[in-house]
Formats: sequence, C-alpha cells, structure tokens
Amino acid sequence: MTINLNDITCPTREQRANGINTFNGKASELVELAKKKELKNCERDFQQNSGCLLNFYLTVRVATIRDSVMIVHAPVGCSAPSALYREVFRRLYQGLGLQENFDFHWLTTNIGEKDVIYGAGDKLRFAIREAERRHSPEAIFILTSCASGIIGEDIEGVVSETQGEIGATIVPIHCEGIRSRIIQTGYDAFWHGLLKYLVKPPQKKQKDLINVASMLSYTWQDRQEIIRLLGKMGLRANFIPEFASVQNFREMSEAALTAPVCPTYTDYLSRGLEQEYGIPFFLHPAPVGIANTDEWLRVIGEHTGKQKEAEKLVKEERAYWVPKMEEIRRGFDEVKAQNNGQFHIMGSLGQGRLVTQTPFFHELGVTTPVALCQDFDDLLLEDVELLLKRIGDFDIVVNTFQAAEVAHTARKYDPDMVLSCPFQGSAYKREKGMTRIHALRGDGRKWSAQAGYAGAIACGSFLLQATRNRSFQNVMLAKTEDPYQEWFFQQPDPYYFHRKEA
Amino acid sequence: MGLTIVTGREGALKAAPASEFPEIAESPRFTCALGGAYGAALATFGAVPILHSGLGCGMANAHGMTYAAGLNSGGTAGTTTTPCSGLIEEHVVFGGEDKLRRLIDSTLKVMKGELFVVISGCVPALIGDDVDSVIAEFKDRAPIVHVKTSGFVGNSLVGYNLYLDAIIDGFLSEKKETAKKLVNIFGIVPNQSPYWKGELREIESLLAKIGVKANAIFANFEPLGAIASVPNAALNLVFHPWAGVAAAQKLEERFGTPFINFEHVPVGPQQSADVLRTVGRKLKIPNAKVEKVIGAEEKNVYRYMEFLAEMFMISMPHAFFGVVGDSAATISYTRFGANELGWNPEISVITDDPPEETHASIVARLTQNIQGAFRPQVFFDYDSYRIRERLNEHTLQVLLASSLEKYVRGRDGEAFHLSVAYPIYDRVIVDRSYAGFRGGVALLEDISHSFAGPL
Repeated sequence: MTINLNDITCPTREQRANGINTFNGKASELVELAKKKELKNCERDFQQNSGCLLNFYLTVRVATIRDSVMIVHAPVGCSAPSALYREVFRRLYQGLGLQENFDFHWLTTNIGEKDVIYGAGDKLRFAIREAERRHSPEAIFILTSCASGIIGEDIEGVVSETQGEIGATIVPIHCEGIRSRIIQTGYDAFWHGLLKYLVKPPQKKQKDLINVASMLSYTWQDRQEIIRLLGKMGLRANFIPEFASVQNFREMSEAALTAPVCPTYTDYLSRGLEQEYGIPFFLHPAPVGIANTDEWLRVIGEHTGKQKEAEKLVKEERAYWVPKMEEIRRGFDEVKAQNNGQFHIMGSLGQGRLVTQTPFFHELGVTTPVALCQDFDDLLLEDVELLLKRIGDFDIVVNTFQAAEVAHTARKYDPDMVLSCPFQGSAYKREKGMTRIHALRGDGRKWSAQAGYAGAIACGSFLLQATRNRSFQNVMLAKTEDPYQEWFFQQPDPYYFHRKEA
Repeated sequence: MGLTIVTGREGALKAAPASEFPEIAESPRFTCALGGAYGAALATFGAVPILHSGLGCGMANAHGMTYAAGLNSGGTAGTTTTPCSGLIEEHVVFGGEDKLRRLIDSTLKVMKGELFVVISGCVPALIGDDVDSVIAEFKDRAPIVHVKTSGFVGNSLVGYNLYLDAIIDGFLSEKKETAKKLVNIFGIVPNQSPYWKGELREIESLLAKIGVKANAIFANFEPLGAIASVPNAALNLVFHPWAGVAAAQKLEERFGTPFINFEHVPVGPQQSADVLRTVGRKLKIPNAKVEKVIGAEEKNVYRYMEFLAEMFMISMPHAFFGVVGDSAATISYTRFGANELGWNPEISVITDDPPEETHASIVARLTQNIQGAFRPQVFFDYDSYRIRERLNEHTLQVLLASSLEKYVRGRDGEAFHLSVAYPIYDRVIVDRSYAGFRGGVALLEDISHSFAGPL
C-alpha cells in the first residue's frame, strides 16, 4: 500500500482495506472472506447511534494538543463533545507527570443557514486569523464536517491562501462524517493531515525515541507504565496525539521506531512514517497482557539494538508480576469452581483489542465464546490468523456500537461477564456479570490501568473484582424497562434487520 | 498579584467587541438544534427519538449535551440505543428517504415506545429529503412526529422550541374543557438547564402547595396524557426569556390559553413567593390561602438558613459575584445573590444567544429592582475565550457559572466557583436543583463551606 501525500486526504477504510462493520459468524469464515477480498458491508434496516469520523472523537483528541488551536468547520453541535476540554483532563494531577501547559483552545466556525447557501470560506479564513491572533499557536487543525463537505467548501484553497500570513502550520483534516461507515477512516484522515503538513524531515536521528500513538481509552497510568518500561531500556516514548505538543509531531520523523498500543488505530501513521522517513514499525503485539508485553518489549529491543536490555527487563518484570498474575488466576479458578468449571467473558472490542485482549483473557484463565468487534478489515489479517492458531476458532460479531445487536448477542451467549465500552445503552443491566472494558484518559487511578505489566495486573484484578458482586446490575435489570421488544430476543438472529443483499 | 480595591461604579450594558463573525467562538454554551430537539425527546419519558442524520450526531450530543448536563446519559432511549439512519455519501447522492422508511418501520417493530420523534439533521436538510411524506406513511401505526431541525438552523434552545412546535402541531387537536387549576410548564429546557429534572419537580411541588396542578411533558411517566391535556390548561407558565415562549403564544392563539412569562426559574424564597402570588392572582386563588403557604414556607426556610448563616458570614459575606449562564439562569442567580444573600453583582454574562428583541427585557431583569449599591455589567456572549478575558477584568469572590469557568478566578484570583449552568462536567446532577423556597439553602450548602473553619 502506498500512501499518497499529494492527495488531500486518505482513502476510506472501505477503499483501502475492505473495511466492514457487519458480520456475524465464525472468525475463520471472516478471515477466509477477507483473504478472498469478499468482505461486504450491508445496510441495516435498524441502525443505532454509533459515531462518525469527526466524532469518534477527533474533536476531543485534537483539542488536547497543547500548543495548537482546533477549528471545527461545522455547525455548532459537531464540536459539542469538546466542551469538556477545560475541565475533565484537569482531574489528572501534577504528580502523574502532567505537563503544565494544559490551556487548550479551539473554535467552531458555527456554520449557519446563510453559510450553507453562500459558503463559509470567509468564516474559515477569519477563524484561522482569530486563532493566530488569540493564541499564536504552533499549529492550527481544521476539522471538516458533513455540512462543510456537502456544501463543497474549498478547504485547501483557504489553507493555501492564508498559510503565508500565519505563523502556525495549518493542518486540514478531512473527517466529513458522510465519507465512510468505518470510524477508523477518521483517524486515517487525521494521520494523513499530520504526515502531509506537520511532520518535518528529520534534523537529526533520535535513536532512543519511540513513537507511541495511544488512544483515549488507555489511561494516564498506562502512559506512566510505558514510560517506565521504555525508560529501563534507555528509551523515551514520544506520545501522540493527546496532550502532545506540536513539536512531538514534528519530530516523529526522527524516531527509531513506531510502536503500537492499538494497531488498527496506528496503522496509517506507522506506514506513512516508514514510507516517507524510513521509520520502522510493527503492529503486533500491543502491550496488553503479560505475554504480549514481553513480546512488545522484545520487538522494540530488536528495532533499537537493545535485545539484551529487553531480555533483562522482561526477566526482571516477569519475576515481579507473574506471581501476581498467578494469584489472579487462582482467584478465577475459585470463581470457576463455583461456576461449572468455566468462566466466559464477552468483550466489546475494537479490532486492535480483538488481537491483543483475547490472549490476555486466556492468561487470566477465562474463555471468550464470542468476540464483539467494532469493525474489521484486512490490515490485521495475519494477526487474526495467528490468534486463531493460538486459541482456536471463535464466534465473532462485527458492528460499531449497535446496542440491540450487542444485547441480543449477550442474551444468546449468556456469558458470565460482559465487558462494554462506556455509554453503551443499557448494557450494564444484566443477571450475570457486567463491567466496563476500559476507563478513559481523564482517569488517573492505578485501578483503571491496562497497559504493560502493571496494567495487566490492574486489569486482571479489576475483572476478578467484578465477579464478586453484581447487585447493581441485577437491581437495575429488575427495576427498569428494557428498550427492546421481547420478540427480538426470541428469534435467533442478532442481525435480523440486516439487508442480506449488499 | 495584589488585591484590587473596588470602590463602586454603576453597571452598564456592554456591547460585544466588533467582530466580523461574532458567531465564531471557543466552546459555545449550547449544542445545535438537532441536539436540543434530541434532548427534549429523551426528556419525554416513553418517547423514542429517531435521528435522521449522520452517524455521529447522536453520540456527539450524548457526550456534548446529556453528559455535559451533570454527567448524565440520556436514559432508556439515549446514547447508543437511539435509532439513527446513519447517512453517508451514497445517501447524499441517492437520497435518504428509503433508509429512513426502513428505519422507522424497524424501530416501530423492535423498540418499546409510546411516541416516536423523527429528528432530521444537516444531511437531509441539505439534500432535500421529504421527511414529512415518509413519516405520513406511519401515522396509523404509532404516534409519530417530525422535528425538522438541522445543525445549522440554530442552537439547542431553537431545537427545544421546534420540538414543542412539532408536539403541538402533531398531537394537539382540541380543547375539551378548561381545568381551572391546571397549568402547563414551559421554558425549562432539558440539558440546557442541567438542573431541569429537579427544577420541574420543584415547581410542581411549589404549585401544588396552592392547589395548582403543573402539567409538564418532560420527566412525566404519562407523556401522552400530559400532551393530551395541554389544551385544557387554564394558564401557561414560561420560565425562560425565549425558550417555550413561541409554544405559549401558539397555544394562546389556538386554544385561547393565557400565559405568564416569569423569564426565569424561581431560586430561593423571594422568587418562589413571587411565582405563587402571581399564579394565585391569575387563577383567583384566595389571597389568604396563598399567603398562608408562603408564610409557612418562609418560616421554615429562614429558620433553617439560621443554621448556616454564621458560617456564611465567615466565608462569603457581601461577595462581589459574577454569573455566567443561560438568560434564565443568569436572571435567577443574579437576583438571588443580590436580593437575598447581600452579594454585590459585578458581572452577568448571558450565554444562550437570545434573540435581539429579548435583550432589553433580560437587562431590565438584571438591573432593575436589585438591592444594594451595584448593578452588574451585562454581556451577551457565548465565546468562552472572551468570557474568560472579561471575568478576569473583575474582582470576584463568587462565580456562579458553567464548568468551563471552573479554573477562572477573576482579577484577584480568589473567586470561588460553583457550576450552575450548561455545560457542567464537574458534578453529577440527577434530580436536585436550586429552585423553590429551599433552593437558596441548597446553593449555600454546595458553595460556602471552603473558607469556614472553626476559630
């Protein structure tokens, strides 16, 4: 795959990697279809809120880039999630290595009725100048919307016209919601903008610098863990995009390696940095679970000439953490002993978590009868095949936050524990166990960590803890109404409303 | 930074600095009209919103509207449960009507609901989908209406007004009889007033004390019954300078129901007593009955105020205070602070972009019949950057605002902040509020503890 930085933006995930978000069947079938390039998306007659390229959640992420201004070229509602920018992240505390300059800034062009008739180019120009006047930022990110796309705004024209008079680097990001069904396309569009406009040719090589693109769903403690582990190998993490400074993006071209936390999220950036600047990358594994973390460190060691350091580190860390994991395993053994010898977990996962977290569940001694995956494409095919070899075939349901399909699947498989992303309808109402799959970046507690060794133990312990009491889930199930009609659950197909033709 | 000595000055209405595009703003204090209508539908218990929009409109408003209203989710039909047509490029090219038709059909089959509210957004507005015709096909299957919004037609308060309009046009037919003690409640905008549930409940219980039954569509377990009885009310009450006003006017035209606009939710005993006296007069409730209720409520609340008054006099007496919020909230809190707590109003910022014609009345509420030597400087602005700059020009000991101002401290850096207006990301608000007789005590309970240690 070649990334063409002359294009104004990336191809969609559908175009680039046959991305889909409708599938229900065996993981082996899914892989076969993907290999034959026969994955097909189909329309849902019943569809629910999921997320779009702009709002999953570029508006939240980009607003946290420290010496920048984000301009959302959209009607006022498209940037509403960013209203948390001054408050939520300050719940983190300085003791966690929080940078001082946390004064984030953004603007909406607040596209109105006149603008959709006459165009909003003048407003965008004004917003760029206003951003410069107010904050003298290092970069100005322009995020586009459905409305700006449909009315045919000439974003590149405005950028080339104003760039000469503006000190900041202007970075347009084409994340119009109508472009694609696959939210990952929005991240690709963001990386495309960075690669095209912001990353600079290297001034020098920084042999100890590792680019790490991490998600908001990995917490501040996860960053601390990655810093700790890389530090022990004499390496530094260049974390992007949240809370990064513009300089962090500029110097990505000087790094020794791009390492994944979430492979599907990082894919486009990693490939782009390799193509343009020869920065090597790997996509698997991510540092989730003990074995994956071992491997993650070893691969980093190979790329940085620090194999010995990696081996030493893995040995030391395992000596400290593996006994703790065994303790957690014994905890799950006790739970299993009272539960017909098994414990099934159903995780609501991104494609990245599918290949990383499923082996982690096996480390804990629990099984996954079915995996839920937000979307699927052929970028991680080899890794999924590897996963199949390691743990055997499993059922997989691919959808992007389709709550009714998820509820149906949860009832059908009736796992002992359901793990759900935040804000997923009434997913917490269950007879059996249910908890969150992850916390968010604003959560600085060690309890909520999941990356590296410390995260594996924290997360394992958290999941074990979740098995100990489920009264809240039970009470809410009993005392509140389910939003769906019962007949839907009585028929066997969670994809009842899928149109079978394309 | 030394303390700024404030000697006093007369308040004045300050115009926003001239800007070619004043609507370009950092974090405005509202979402779009689709969001406002969506929030109103979620606040109507038993209603199922159906978004005819892009994939992310619902989730953007879950994080940026219901979550911004005291960290709430939308309830049974909110967040990822809400049906959404998820329009993408192919629908832009070929139209989204067929997708909507299938979505409504499937929603009626699979979701429990008493009424269904189709809310259309930017994409159908721009491509010209005939949403009304599609909805007409389903009229015999379930109560269903269309709120014709878009992201660019206006802000969330406009969306609330459009929602009420759709409900009135879609469901109200005729006035059966006038229920003499029944009043409809308008102008408490779900989410935009983060305390909306508690405010509605408090107003219901306040009016019940004088034998008046409040009828609200929102947070009501019998929404269809509430909607059906709207034409029968003897009186409509509006608690906002411009949200709900058009609905009250329309009901006056169609059913001859008079309305009173208080322009704000009553906070504390004085404002609450004013509501009771005004409603009592209008509905010809004996004065003695109303005064008896007020007397008992006042005796109660001021007796309890004594328990915190000493602490209050230590921690924040005669404070210079600023208020930043919706027009209704700014009126409530500016008047409560000045007229009951003895605070000195320094600056009041109106953030809901009210129509020009309402500005004079809002300013009058903020500057007339205000106790003490000071009148607040009044600004109409929703740009968080300019608001911060302005607040930092003033000495403030108290700042009642949104959580966007949590770290704004005023010129001397000593303002004590409490979130009272949208957005509120720093506290959880379920059904509490500062409305009613006890509301003022509740507010002091929440704000005044920090500097009040024992000797």
